[in-house]
Amino acid sequence: MTGVQDRTPITHGIDIESMQRERAGVKLEDETIALEVDKLDLFYGDKKALKSVTMKIPQKKVTAFIGPSGCGKSTLLRCFNRMNDLIDGCHTTGEIRLDGKNIYDRDVDIAMLRRRVGMVFQKPNPFPKSIYENVAYGLRLAGINKKRILDETVEWALKGAALWDEAKDRLDDSALGLSGGQQQRLIIARAIAIHPDVILLDEPCSALDPISTLKVEELINELKKDYTIVIVTHNMQQAARVSDYTAFMYVGDLIEYGSTDQLFTKPSKKQTEDYITGRYG
Amino acid sequence: MSTAQTPASAAELPRSITAGRGGFQARYVKDRLARYVVLVGGLGVIGALLLIFVYLAQEVAPLFAGAHVEERKTFAIPGAGGRTLYLAAEEQGEIGMRAEESGEVTFFDLHEGTVRGTETLPLAGRKLQSISSVATERGLLAGALEDGSVLVFAHEYKVTYPNDKRLITPGLSFPKGNAPLAFMSGPATSFVARDEGDSLMLVGADANGALNLKVFAQETSLFGDITMTESAVQTFTPAVKPDVLLLEPLLHWLYVIDRAAGKIAFYRLKGSEAPELVEVKEAGAKITEARYLAGGISIVVAQDNGKVTQWFPARRNESEWYLAKVREFKVGNSPVTAIGPEQRRRGFAVGDESGKVSLFYATSGSRVHEEKVFDSPVERLVFNPRARVMMALSADGQLRVSEVHNEHPEVSFSALWGKVWYESYDEPKFLYQSSSATSDFEPKFSLTPLALGTLKGAFYAMIFAIPLAVMGAIFTANFMSPEMRQVVKPSVEVLAALPSVILGFLAGLWLAPFVETNLPGMFLCLLLLPTSIPIFGFLWTRMPRAIRLRVPPGWEAALLIPVISFVIWGCFMLAHPIEALFFGGNMQSWMDHTLGISYIQRNSLVVGIAMGIAVIPVIFSIAEDAIFSVPKHLSLGSLALGATPWQTLIGVVLPTASPGIFSAIMIGMGRAVGETMIVLMATGNTAVMDLSLFSGMRTLAANVAVEMPESEVGSTHFRLLFLAGLVLFFFTFFLNTLAEVVRSRLRKKYSSL
Repeated sequence: MTGVQDRTPITHGIDIESMQRERAGVKLEDETIALEVDKLDLFYGDKKALKSVTMKIPQKKVTAFIGPSGCGKSTLLRCFNRMNDLIDGCHTTGEIRLDGKNIYDRDVDIAMLRRRVGMVFQKPNPFPKSIYENVAYGLRLAGINKKRILDETVEWALKGAALWDEAKDRLDDSALGLSGGQQQRLIIARAIAIHPDVILLDEPCSALDPISTLKVEELINELKKDYTIVIVTHNMQQAARVSDYTAFMYVGDLIEYGSTDQLFTKPSKKQTEDYITGRYG
Repeated sequence: MSTAQTPASAAELPRSITAGRGGFQARYVKDRLARYVVLVGGLGVIGALLLIFVYLAQEVAPLFAGAHVEERKTFAIPGAGGRTLYLAAEEQGEIGMRAEESGEVTFFDLHEGTVRGTETLPLAGRKLQSISSVATERGLLAGALEDGSVLVFAHEYKVTYPNDKRLITPGLSFPKGNAPLAFMSGPATSFVARDEGDSLMLVGADANGALNLKVFAQETSLFGDITMTESAVQTFTPAVKPDVLLLEPLLHWLYVIDRAAGKIAFYRLKGSEAPELVEVKEAGAKITEARYLAGGISIVVAQDNGKVTQWFPARRNESEWYLAKVREFKVGNSPVTAIGPEQRRRGFAVGDESGKVSLFYATSGSRVHEEKVFDSPVERLVFNPRARVMMALSADGQLRVSEVHNEHPEVSFSALWGKVWYESYDEPKFLYQSSSATSDFEPKFSLTPLALGTLKGAFYAMIFAIPLAVMGAIFTANFMSPEMRQVVKPSVEVLAALPSVILGFLAGLWLAPFVETNLPGMFLCLLLLPTSIPIFGFLWTRMPRAIRLRVPPGWEAALLIPVISFVIWGCFMLAHPIEALFFGGNMQSWMDHTLGISYIQRNSLVVGIAMGIAVIPVIFSIAEDAIFSVPKHLSLGSLALGATPWQTLIGVVLPTASPGIFSAIMIGMGRAVGETMIVLMATGNTAVMDLSLFSGMRTLAANVAVEMPESEVGSTHFRLLFLAGLVLFFFTFFLNTLAEVVRSRLRKKYSSL
């Protein structure tokens, strides 16, 4: 994380080539596994939204879910921290294992699960509080109220989310005064402040302008050093830019899953090829 | 594409981009019309509100305007030129009367100063020593003759309308006979006479400084014959030199005043027994004059240090009488020389040595007018009974007749909001009593008990309504299933459609007696209902999963219906045994005896419940909307950070909804403050200064509703009711503005959500 602190703010473009060079030749089989999805079915009432999805999410890598609208990629993402529980009539069968423990077991404390599996939403959703309080919120929820610890963590998290330089002089200002891109980085800071293992990003850049998008993408690249990242995106270039592994989903099915380079250059399925070459979707 | 036929519409559509401006195309006309209608409507609302305010203010303004005195004419006092013993003006302010020591009575025109008639008292050559007013309102006077006898006479004015013009014919009559009554053996240095019922009491001081007291009782026989019985003369030596004597109209109290020593001896008269000296008070300066105010309770004492003090009998410790110095009026620096009390109100005019005349009002303690009218001292000040005409007599015999416009001297800021020591009360109090059976009572116009009553009613209603409405709103918006919410929300909102007169009617005629007979049950409910609900909730979480899953999520609240019903039933079942066990069978009398709390049937508890029910829908509806409209992504964001639903509610949802909840409470409060019918019907409408749950109240709104029909248009009382309305207007205006300001500030804070 030290590198993050010293970095000067980026105003244009990022070095995509070096990012791609870094991940060349990765293989899923070599990875440590953070999350294991096992024959997961998900129903909205009677409608089956996920059909027996089985996959392994590697640790400290970026995994991207792509696919046309309504394919179930966001649904699958929300299964990892059980946000789907909040939807009426939604239930699942099958397992998702975090550290070998099925997160759908009855003895799982959902609040604890969500503390370890953080989430960033499509639209920045800072709380109507100060920047400081937004970042400290998760810690306060966990009962940490010591000023010193909070100060330290807020600074650390904001640096981690590359927002410290922009926000350090206005920590007590309302978070709502930040720009969209800054807000989204604040949400990421808020998420990492509680030290999760996994960060779920649900189309994190779809509401942002291109420059903010690049900043967030570079941030994702930095974050994967410490966190397992799962990202849902509509933007295939984004998936190609930031992810190590990519899963293509289509109408509730996991069609193809593999290293990003392979999926985008030599897709093994016809459907995948059609989608990434823009024939539909 | 280029070869395709262009549709005909292309030619129809105008190409000029300025074509629509100022045109009369239907859509522009509609647009403009809509704009004007909205504009006119909006301005109309503001205008109407402003007009209401202006109208109220205009009705109220005269209350605070001072008196206006206009000189009619100044002339040398008509008559034979002897010492003036008595001066009066009749009801219409047309004719004045002057009685001189020679027994000459002159009636003169108050417009022109011309003599309208003269009469001579049948004194058989004797001179009058002094004249005391026996009963001012009847024009009954008693003149003490130099030989110690007393002649009772009255000045009367017959009003006739020959040729449709008012003609007032003055005259004298002698209700106790033409012959003077025998009283003292020598001339009286000071003298006072009063009658009460059929008794006439005379008190006179003789040359030795002793007081003589004699009562004449008049008996009318069955056949109309009048016989006078006389008591023996009681003689006693007063504690101070008897320069001025004042006798209470009911003949209970006698004041003996020593001018030079500035002392007032306060005597209690005990019929045939010797008068009892209650106490002697020091006025603090030489006394120049003392008079009774209208109503016959207060005396005002003029002093040579430029002050006038007001005194009346009051009690210490409920039984011990003393003479209380109630108020002090600072007139100026010259010695006060004359006091002229009004005959029907507590107002009085004060004249001093410098020739200045000031008008005061006792109850409000205010000076309403001040004017220098003479270069010589003012000797006498007299009002006509309506207090529209004032005569001021100067030491050099000039009589100045003025028209007095002094409509509302009773009202001043301190009389409205401060503690006022009213006549016959033992201490200063906040009192509201606008009318009474007698016409000469002192109106008590303190708005404090009404304002307090208003806030008290609203307070108890809010105590009842806020927890129910806000918690209900939180549950409905945040936890209830959408289907159940669709039923619950409109149902609660429909409650708002219940006319408040029905709520008031139920509260007054059913709830109040019910609460009275079931008081322990009510308290048990207040105690057990809020505790049993969480207990049930806790037990429910401990139920086996199989049972819990049978209730669809969000419908758990429905389970409370039987629980609540059962608890209420249980409370009222248990009430009587508990009452018998702990409260000796009757909680009200137990409270009265043990805690000293008296129980009034129509009390704040009843009003709190009834008015609470009236404001619950308002608060619930607005608060629910506010909570429900908190963006979903905020609570999701909180949940995603590992917050429990409760933490999310407290940490994110409620703070975000707080402007809405706050304004809901304020608008509910505004409704409770302005509510009329419920408080009118469910309280006893007693204007008490008491915050007890078991006493009633009188609110500003109910007061206006109760008293408006009986108030005389243009009177102080009438305008006071407008003032009550204005105060109420300010209350609600303040609450609503506060709500709006807070809401808009908070809304700005949360605007980018």
